[in-house]
Amino acid sequence: MEKRIVIPGDLLSDDIRVSGSGTYVADGTVRAALYGLMNKGERYISVIPLAGRYIPQTSDRVIGVITEVTYSNWIVDINSPYDGLLHISQYPRRIEIEQMSRYLKVGDCILTMVKDVDASMKVELTLRDKDRELRRLSDGRITAISPTKMPRVIGRSGSMIRLLKSEIGCNMFVGQNGRIWINGSEDRIDLAIEAVRYIEANAHTPGLTDRMQAFLKAKKKTRFGKTYENEDEEEWR
Amino acid sequence: MSEKPEHFIVDGKRLDGRRVDELRPIKIEIGTLGRADGSCYLEWGNNKVLAAVYGPRELHPRHRQKMTRSVVQFRYNMASFSVDERTRPGPSRRSIEISKVSREAFEPVIFTKFFPRTAIDVFVEILQAGAGTRTAGINAASLALADAGIPMRGLVSACAVGKVDGEIVLDLMKEEDNYGEADLPVAMTAGRQITLLQMDGHLTTEEFYRALELAKTGCDQIYELQRQALIEKYSKEYTTEIEEEGPAPAGEPEGDADE
Amino acid sequence: MSDDVMTEIQRDHLFNLILKGEREDGRAFDEFREISIETDVIGTADGSARVKLGTTELLVGVKIQPGEPFPDTPDKGVLITNTELVPLASPDYEAGPPREGAIEIARVVDRGIRESKSLDLEKLCITAGEKVWIIFIDIHVLNNDGNILDAASMGSIAALLTAKLPRAQYDMGDDIPLPVRDIPVAVTVIEFGGALLLDPSLAEGVIASTSLITITNNDGSISGMQKSGSESLTVEQVMQAVDMAKNAAAGIREKFLEV
Repeated sequence: MEKRIVIPGDLLSDDIRVSGSGTYVADGTVRAALYGLMNKGERYISVIPLAGRYIPQTSDRVIGVITEVTYSNWIVDINSPYDGLLHISQYPRRIEIEQMSRYLKVGDCILTMVKDVDASMKVELTLRDKDRELRRLSDGRITAISPTKMPRVIGRSGSMIRLLKSEIGCNMFVGQNGRIWINGSEDRIDLAIEAVRYIEANAHTPGLTDRMQAFLKAKKKTRFGKTYENEDEEEWR
Repeated sequence: MSEKPEHFIVDGKRLDGRRVDELRPIKIEIGTLGRADGSCYLEWGNNKVLAAVYGPRELHPRHRQKMTRSVVQFRYNMASFSVDERTRPGPSRRSIEISKVSREAFEPVIFTKFFPRTAIDVFVEILQAGAGTRTAGINAASLALADAGIPMRGLVSACAVGKVDGEIVLDLMKEEDNYGEADLPVAMTAGRQITLLQMDGHLTTEEFYRALELAKTGCDQIYELQRQALIEKYSKEYTTEIEEEGPAPAGEPEGDADE
Repeated sequence: MSDDVMTEIQRDHLFNLILKGEREDGRAFDEFREISIETDVIGTADGSARVKLGTTELLVGVKIQPGEPFPDTPDKGVLITNTELVPLASPDYEAGPPREGAIEIARVVDRGIRESKSLDLEKLCITAGEKVWIIFIDIHVLNNDGNILDAASMGSIAALLTAKLPRAQYDMGDDIPLPVRDIPVAVTVIEFGGALLLDPSLAEGVIASTSLITITNNDGSISGMQKSGSESLTVEQVMQAVDMAKNAAAGIREKFLEV
């Protein structure tokens, strides 16, 4: 797989059938629409952006902040150009309109899912799901990363996020919108945030999961001192 | 204001020693402002300009929203201390016109259809003015837009061409701008689509064609500098990373970012 | 997210840190972020300074030109201070005439310089009743990451200290330094969870609704104060805040502003 930095307008291919996301077709050629990393597969070329806003899509799980309570809707900031609407009927249980602020008030954080997005980008959210994972977040901390870098916090089929959770020993949820919720003891949350910042700074480089492993080992040694001192001593110089 | 020089070109050299087809030195830094989605600081001769991009973001007031596309907004502003005689803060008729034509220099290249109802805001601050601020602002804005991850057909590059001592010259400096016979700022894409063109002064059509040719070579050089600055921003970070961490582990790079 | 959307979780976190005597970025309550002041950065200005306070950044330009005195002070120079919170500097700033926040910053900075008699305005008289020097201080905010007032104060006095009276330009002799006699420094103290903090970050500034700004001079005397924000302060808090501001100002003056 070939990866390199491209800028808008760069010629990527003469075969318009390979045009993927972040590219456009003009005069029979495929060109980059974004400043980012070209990702060349066998049958497609895409450009992975290095920056950009979160644009909601149906079934995305995101972390939102209630900014307004209106008649029958909560208005939710989802770190996007578009506000999300959470209708009272999408609250997990039946509640009365007068009581809306008792359940979710301005400033509350929620783990929510995009139920539907229409052509004019009206974004409907829900808190109803089978696994009961969607909910109000009442503890822990929230940090944010550029939504374009969010996939690297998750890693290939979840490898990075699994590593972070198990090595740091905290609970984490990565929203598609770049907001990340972390819960655990204060020092573990601090370390998790440091790890996220490390990913952010190195998101465009390969081999990130391996380096994260080394990064966490080094950090834990200094941070948690004795607890981890003898662990894997010979591996870490 | 300085006096009008007797000659602008002596022995093929201009007042600052440049050839007629030579640009002033350009320095570019990308991503300098933390709060903006994309930003660029650019020095060009005596010009010092900053560009920032915010968006796509919600557009207020709502009645200005377009249901099928994003609205590009461009604000060119001069700091009061950026010119010899202090200028009053806030928009002037001149800055409003420059803002309009600069916005129109980008509208053809930005894929606005991806972001209905939003605004893409481009802000250019002229911190020190030294002839050619609008083209400097456009070059910086182009990079700030790329830095913000805004989808575009290509970068926009701009420079001015003019006429002094009867000769067509590239990239006017202050004296040439003030006392020259013509000033022709041009912005174009790498694909030679002209997105900004203004002219004041006096040129024959033949001179105009030559001037436009010269503008093309100027824009090409600027495009290369813009391109280098964008590529370097990430390759630089990449190299320091490798040095700190030792050689990257062998094997396939991960392909997780496109999932 | 705009500055005024602050989540309940973040508010609680910052509050709990304060109770433990800590801040989010690990600073002590009376510790500033890294300060950098660079002077003479704008060639078109008569004096200038670029201030970085952590990631907060602004430019101050001083322009000096002859003009008419005010009728009630015919033999004194004129000082005019202005702040531009340009939309490039924060997602929350909008284009348009200065709002109350910008006007307050300009007036507080102005007050410190004026009331400390730092600038000897009498020496800035050219012909009594007819012509005096007009000193414009323009504060141009580039990146608002909290506490722009303190940065504006440092920048203004730093720019004045390096400014030259442009006498040559008006055939009045050689350029000479401005008659600056004192170095007033404004320091903001915020009240948050019962604690008093210096140099508020953006988040701290949003949460803490109340601050006290104290401007102190070389000899430790006070030349201006401003309580800002919607809550009250106790007498003890005010006394302590003045003390903190005075000590911090002395440190900043010694390190960054001595001539």
